[in-house]
Amino acid sequence: MRLFNAVRGGLSAGHPVSGTAALTGGAFVVIALLVLVPLANIAVELISDAGLEAVWDVFAGRIAENMLWRPLANTFAIGFAVALACVALGGVLAWLVTMTDLPLRRWIGVLAALPFMIPTFAVALAWTVVFADDRLGVDAAGMLVHLGVPVPAWLAWGGVPVALALIAHLYAIAYLMIASALVTVGRDLTAAAEIAGASRTRILRAIVFPVVTPSLIAAGALCFAEAVSSFSAPAILGLPVRFHTLATRAYGAIETGSPERGYVLITVMVVTAALFLALAAVLQRRGQSFATIGAQGGRRGRMALGRWRWPLAVAALSTVAATTILPTLVLLLSSVSTASGNPFATLTTHYWIGAADPAVAQGQAGILNNPQLVRATLVTLGVGLATGIAALAAALVVGLAIGRLRGGFLAGTLQQLAFLPLLIPGLAIGAACIGFYGAPIGPLPSLYGTPAILVIAGVAATLPFAVQSVVAARAQIAPTLEDSARVTGASPPRILAAITLPLALPKLIAGFVLVFVKMVRDLDLVILLYTPQLPLLTVIAFRYASDGFAQFAHAVTVVILLVSVLAHLAATGLGRAAQPWLRD
Amino acid sequence: MEPAIRLTGLTKRYGDHAALDGIDLTIERGDFCVLLGPSGCGKSTLLRLLAGLEPPTSGRIELNGARVADVAAGVAVPPGPRDLGMVFQGYALWPHKTVAGNIGWPLQVAGLDAAARRARVSAVAALLEVDAYLDRYPGTLSGGQQQRVAIARCIAPEPGLLLLDEPLSNLDAQLRVEMRAELLRVHRETGATVVHVTHDQVEALTMASRIVVMNRGRIEQCDAPQAILDAPKTAFVAGFLGNPPANLVTAHPDPFWHIAGVALRSPPVAGWGQPVRLMVRPERVVLHREAGQHRLPGRFIEALPLGGRRLVSVAGPFGRISAIAADWPASRYGDPVHVELPADPDAVFAADGQRIA
Repeated sequence: MRLFNAVRGGLSAGHPVSGTAALTGGAFVVIALLVLVPLANIAVELISDAGLEAVWDVFAGRIAENMLWRPLANTFAIGFAVALACVALGGVLAWLVTMTDLPLRRWIGVLAALPFMIPTFAVALAWTVVFADDRLGVDAAGMLVHLGVPVPAWLAWGGVPVALALIAHLYAIAYLMIASALVTVGRDLTAAAEIAGASRTRILRAIVFPVVTPSLIAAGALCFAEAVSSFSAPAILGLPVRFHTLATRAYGAIETGSPERGYVLITVMVVTAALFLALAAVLQRRGQSFATIGAQGGRRGRMALGRWRWPLAVAALSTVAATTILPTLVLLLSSVSTASGNPFATLTTHYWIGAADPAVAQGQAGILNNPQLVRATLVTLGVGLATGIAALAAALVVGLAIGRLRGGFLAGTLQQLAFLPLLIPGLAIGAACIGFYGAPIGPLPSLYGTPAILVIAGVAATLPFAVQSVVAARAQIAPTLEDSARVTGASPPRILAAITLPLALPKLIAGFVLVFVKMVRDLDLVILLYTPQLPLLTVIAFRYASDGFAQFAHAVTVVILLVSVLAHLAATGLGRAAQPWLRD
Repeated sequence: MEPAIRLTGLTKRYGDHAALDGIDLTIERGDFCVLLGPSGCGKSTLLRLLAGLEPPTSGRIELNGARVADVAAGVAVPPGPRDLGMVFQGYALWPHKTVAGNIGWPLQVAGLDAAARRARVSAVAALLEVDAYLDRYPGTLSGGQQQRVAIARCIAPEPGLLLLDEPLSNLDAQLRVEMRAELLRVHRETGATVVHVTHDQVEALTMASRIVVMNRGRIEQCDAPQAILDAPKTAFVAGFLGNPPANLVTAHPDPFWHIAGVALRSPPVAGWGQPVRLMVRPERVVLHREAGQHRLPGRFIEALPLGGRRLVSVAGPFGRISAIAADWPASRYGDPVHVELPADPDAVFAADGQRIA
């Protein structure tokens, strides 16, 4: 009724309602095609005969114990451990950076956000270089074994290293979320309490905790959801010892030709992740979750750390280094070593530029000499670029529709739907896309094995980030800037081209690069969509690692990290070049 | 000749709230018309409707005799063809365009070739004295310079109608005085009709050839500045304008005409049985130290030196009354003062604000 009245009111006033209606319709179609229909398709598969049989098998059949319950217990254990550790580690770092007189806190503040750029599978691979024991053969053993340090089995493979690899990646999210909440405390709230004469502990209890608690819960829930969704860490560190999570079981089921069982497990994953994020959403408004911050707090009121200042600074720096520089160096070192984890092995450039030699690695040439690798690099970059552009285009439709609707039920619904993919593990989005777009739809051919399906899945997975960047770009442009252009008589497309787009460009570039980098370094999303004709860097790194070609895997991973870092640098430069008016 | 602006029954609703409620108004060509009123009175909404940035809910807008908005007839002309320029509160300069780019873009949209554009940009920039900053970005200019650029951008296409939305409100006091003169000069040199929105009565009284006083989405009065000061049509206008503003005191008729229990010398209106509000200008109020017949007992609040005299404020059960006294001995807050009002008030308003005498 409200919509009807709005439309009628707009029509009678001769306002461009048709444009808004078209945009809104387009936005719903985009979200439906990307997210809703593929997911609904999974649900439909589940209520088919084969689906219902799979549900029975997985929940109550002979395989239930191995298929569902044990992996579920592992998944939960990892999720809780990761969430707790991330909140603790991120919280302490956030407190040190924003509330205390920690030396170098600005630097530490910037660096603490970086682990988020290092994908979990890179950390997991680096872990094997150092900690692997010799159960996969002496060649695959890690540095510690070669140095004569005994590595207990639980530290080499399985739940503990999986959790640690996830923590190394995810604590940066917790840090960002908690620090942005702490900054608001530091500036205004404690000053008022101090003036009122409250003691330091009382301020902590009465003001700091209530303000920060929602961000602690939200950070914990997000880390939990990411951890239970993750495929790459358990695949690399768990599978060699048959340690399974829901993600690896789902992947295994789909790869071995029982997709319905995989869908059941994926549904369990989606529901688990969604439940925890929904819980967090009740406790905390969305939006702040993605706020990024610098390291500045108010100048006054910093807690003096006394003689702990430097020890804590060193500890914080070591933590950050251990989760960024160290894994990168370990991978780089491994990739130029004749024996991956052996510190006494000779150095070689074979795995980078060597020619094919039957004596080494079953005749594989160095990655820069390997046409398959060159092709994979081009495909990965192409898919990343295409996904970035397509995600931005989709997000423009959705974001502009949200802006035009100016609040209300429809705008709220669109926004919620656009953020829905955050709740869905990458593996599940990949499975949903393969289920729906992998088969012919009416006259349309199957998209399986084409770059299109990779791009569709990528756009679906990154839509929340792209929409967020469009909404942010719009929000920072004062409406009067467009009004003053309308008064001149310029047409809407001309205003878009001359005023709106140039002003929005920096934020859009940032959104594009975020999507691009997520795509380039993603494994979970593409692992099911990959075909040999369409090689992707992350999948090749994963395959190499699974097949025991550690150096190749690590070299490829270094390439991925390099591409990510270069893209970030390019984005910074582009952003600056796009705003010459800020340079004067 | 058709008037520059004619509004008929113009209404704008946002949900249940009427931002404009049945506005009828005519503004002649060449007028410098000031829309004056407190914030939220609808003056900025009226300006946005004139510009075509928002559609009216009902009513009609004619510019130079041409219907540009008529809800009943389904007419809604977009801003472009309305031949107007607008200066926004906060200027709305495009941050990614240089000063020259800001002034020149509307000309480009209007289809001027590059040479004509350059000539016009430098002419307007010279007029507004911003020709030294043509290559700079707005973010590097001071508030006053940005203001000038905004005006230059607005007048460059030589529109017949200039809409100014509180263009001076972001400037400091000194600059505001300078820019008032600047706007009047531009008005004289372009001959355009100007509609200027403000909540500052000094701006209105110094610049306007006509003042439209608005309150709660309605027009309270539309007149020349002096006429508005001399003969306010409503209690709202009487209290809003004037420096110092006139006193408004409520008088009750039962059982005899009185203010807070003190009898009036004579009934303010013949044959009126309802309470009224009396308007008394401060210069006609006499203050006494001693009590006396027909004097309102009150307490001294403050005294402000004003052109060699003093503006004394007194509070009491009647509310607050200010008086201009030739001399007033040093007083302390709360000292007793007795107020004598003239037998004939300057105006009398009914309880609904309409003038009755």
